[in-house]
Amino acid sequence: MAYVAIADRDHHLHDPQTWVEKYVWSQDHKVIAIQYGSVAIGVGLVALVLSLLMRLQIGFPDTFSFITPYNYYQFVTMHGMIMVIYLLTALFLGGFGNYLIPLMCGARDMVFPYMNMLSFWVYLLSVIVLLTSFFVPGGPTGAGWTLYPPQTITGGTPGYNWGILLMLLSLAIFIVAFTMGGLNYVTTVLQARCRGMTLMRMPLSVWGIFVATILGLLAFPALLVAAIMMLLDRTIGTSFFMPALLSLGEINKTDGGSPILFQHLFWFFGHPEVYIVALPAFGIVSDLLSTHARKNIFGYRMMVWAIVAIGALSFVVWAHHMYVSGMNPYFGFFFATTTLIIAIPTAIKVYNWVLTLWRGNIQINVPNLFAIGFIFTFVHGGLTGLFLGNVTVDLPLSDTYFVIGHFHMVMGVSPVMVLFGAIYHWFPKITGRMPNEVLGRIHFWMTFLGTYAIYLPMHYLGLLGMPRRYYAYGDTQFIPGSAHAVNEAITIAAIVVATAQIIFLINVFYSLRKGKPAEANPWGATTLEWQTPEIVPKHGNWGPKLPVVYRWAYDYSVPGEDRDFIPQNEPPKPGQVVHS
Amino acid sequence: MFTAMVIAMLTAVTVWWLLIRQLREKPWTTQGVLPTSQDGVTSSAPKVGLWVFLAVVSSLFGLFASAYVMRMHGHGGLVSWQRLDEPSILWVNTLVLVLASGALQIARNRIDKDQLEHARAHFAAGGLLTVLFLVGQVLAWGQANANGTLGPSSPAYSFFVLLTAVHGLHLVGGLLVLGRTGVHLFSGAERSNVAVRAQIRLSVQLCTTYWHWLLLIWLGLFALLLST
Repeated sequence: MAYVAIADRDHHLHDPQTWVEKYVWSQDHKVIAIQYGSVAIGVGLVALVLSLLMRLQIGFPDTFSFITPYNYYQFVTMHGMIMVIYLLTALFLGGFGNYLIPLMCGARDMVFPYMNMLSFWVYLLSVIVLLTSFFVPGGPTGAGWTLYPPQTITGGTPGYNWGILLMLLSLAIFIVAFTMGGLNYVTTVLQARCRGMTLMRMPLSVWGIFVATILGLLAFPALLVAAIMMLLDRTIGTSFFMPALLSLGEINKTDGGSPILFQHLFWFFGHPEVYIVALPAFGIVSDLLSTHARKNIFGYRMMVWAIVAIGALSFVVWAHHMYVSGMNPYFGFFFATTTLIIAIPTAIKVYNWVLTLWRGNIQINVPNLFAIGFIFTFVHGGLTGLFLGNVTVDLPLSDTYFVIGHFHMVMGVSPVMVLFGAIYHWFPKITGRMPNEVLGRIHFWMTFLGTYAIYLPMHYLGLLGMPRRYYAYGDTQFIPGSAHAVNEAITIAAIVVATAQIIFLINVFYSLRKGKPAEANPWGATTLEWQTPEIVPKHGNWGPKLPVVYRWAYDYSVPGEDRDFIPQNEPPKPGQVVHS
Repeated sequence: MFTAMVIAMLTAVTVWWLLIRQLREKPWTTQGVLPTSQDGVTSSAPKVGLWVFLAVVSSLFGLFASAYVMRMHGHGGLVSWQRLDEPSILWVNTLVLVLASGALQIARNRIDKDQLEHARAHFAAGGLLTVLFLVGQVLAWGQANANGTLGPSSPAYSFFVLLTAVHGLHLVGGLLVLGRTGVHLFSGAERSNVAVRAQIRLSVQLCTTYWHWLLLIWLGLFALLLST
């Protein structure tokens, strides 16, 4: 096989020459990862504030005059879209994908560094366009994060004029950015692994990010198609999604369009999107649990197959979001079946995480607390998914707070638990300093218990039949007074959880300046990113020579060894089984 | 939508088939440097990157085609789908795009034999024919709406313009890369060193693959338009 001379470098590899090249127009995957991460967390904080405003309204209606019904729906919409796309997708793939893939695969950088840099700046542009919608006449769109037509682009809906245009434009720009980044992640994994790093020696973090990227590359076009067609419906009056309507006393010019078509396109993207967020979380949490339980991951091969199987199956379950859309009942049967099938590989993963912990030398540190916390939140969120995956149970629960409780547990709280665990775990690698343990523990317990206090009661509210997306409930007969008391408690819990995130930010900024200097491999991890010549890897990552990998990523507590871990790049001792 | 589902499933099966041998490995049983592993970035990375991109492009057009079919069969509405008579110029355009693709293939064959100076005419012809194709597609919009009765309110016409426009935009993107490659090819490439010539060769190979793929996509779209 022909190799480019990038392996053992004797030439410059787009080395930065100036401060601007190093920190602004950087082509270094680590800098780009931090840029992605910073913007994603920044815009995520905006979405967090929006959720607090929503909760203030629900918990204490008629108290805050500045929260109008108009604003409320804008908060709902922007919170959902920002959290799912601009925070979770961007942080997992743009942030951790960028940081971890080259380091864990033993590469110097992504294979297309210039395109990688463009990916970040185009992503930033999409965020700016999105946030601009707060300042245009009419404000951002308030159609709900699913943007269902005809409501979205019909008069009377908040932001139906400028807001929705900017939202669709921003999504289209984001997809361009993601595609540029995604091409890099996939090609780097396939083409730039160091010597010895076979696919089945890759850490599960890389597997999760790799498969999630493939999902994104195939699924985001559905959102792009939907966005382009809705943009045309809105601007030049096509009838892709818009039926004939009587709106505000006037007959629309559109006719015959299919709102259900939009729903199909949206969820053909929307369901894989759940796994675009979940699969990297699955991979990363596997590595956190294995490292901090000092034990090899249980069922590595099954874990890889499960990631691939979940990825493939995620494309055939989309219509379980549409049971109440009036589709053919036989479709419901089909999609309920596929939804239950996808639970099998998912359950395999859960069992394997638990069995990884079983009789391990479990370290109760902050990254591991978040990783173990994830198992709890994910199991709870996953189990309620089984309820909603069944048509007959979903029909009464659809559009109630049960759904909110479910999806926040499974794809809100759970991935965020992993994100926090990952940030605490790789903080020493990224910054060269240890995060503060006490602040980290306070952050964990407030977040973990607080999110339970928020979302568990929502299941109860949903079972009562309390509908979602309502600005106020007034004296609705079937909603008892106790439900209002529960809503007050949920809002207070939400404020507590938000406060915990301030503690997290304080920890990050404090530890950046005053944190204890990190050792080269503070967690005793086996994976390559901890074996770089410098604690905080320099440009090119590996000095003059690329690493060579001799073993898988999970040689923890190997019997007869002095240490309880063997790095992937440590050669076998004489007499050990060797294949070459 | 089911077309998209089938495409997704086929992609998954293909990926699975390609990976299955490697996924059978039991990494905990072996140590040492395994023979399937590699060292650094291989020279085929840009080709792999292009194929990944083409998978994305295919997914995009597959979804547009699914949306087209679903919208045509409708989900209720007051006005039924009224089919569009495809303009005859589309046959000429198709022939032009086939010729463009063929010209680039000839250019590529010559560059593969390191005959850079003999590849220029065909390379330029490929680009010019593509521009001609794009002009023809714009003319087709007018021809389809010759009596001026069709507009945004006609779903078939809207889809026709949308599908051809998105396909055309992909070709415009390709033309930008083709133009950049052309600048290198026409500015004394035969006097360049081996690395520069290899870079030009790779660029032409990538352009040719991209053109062939977009031709296939156009043939698929044209067949879909003709059959409906």
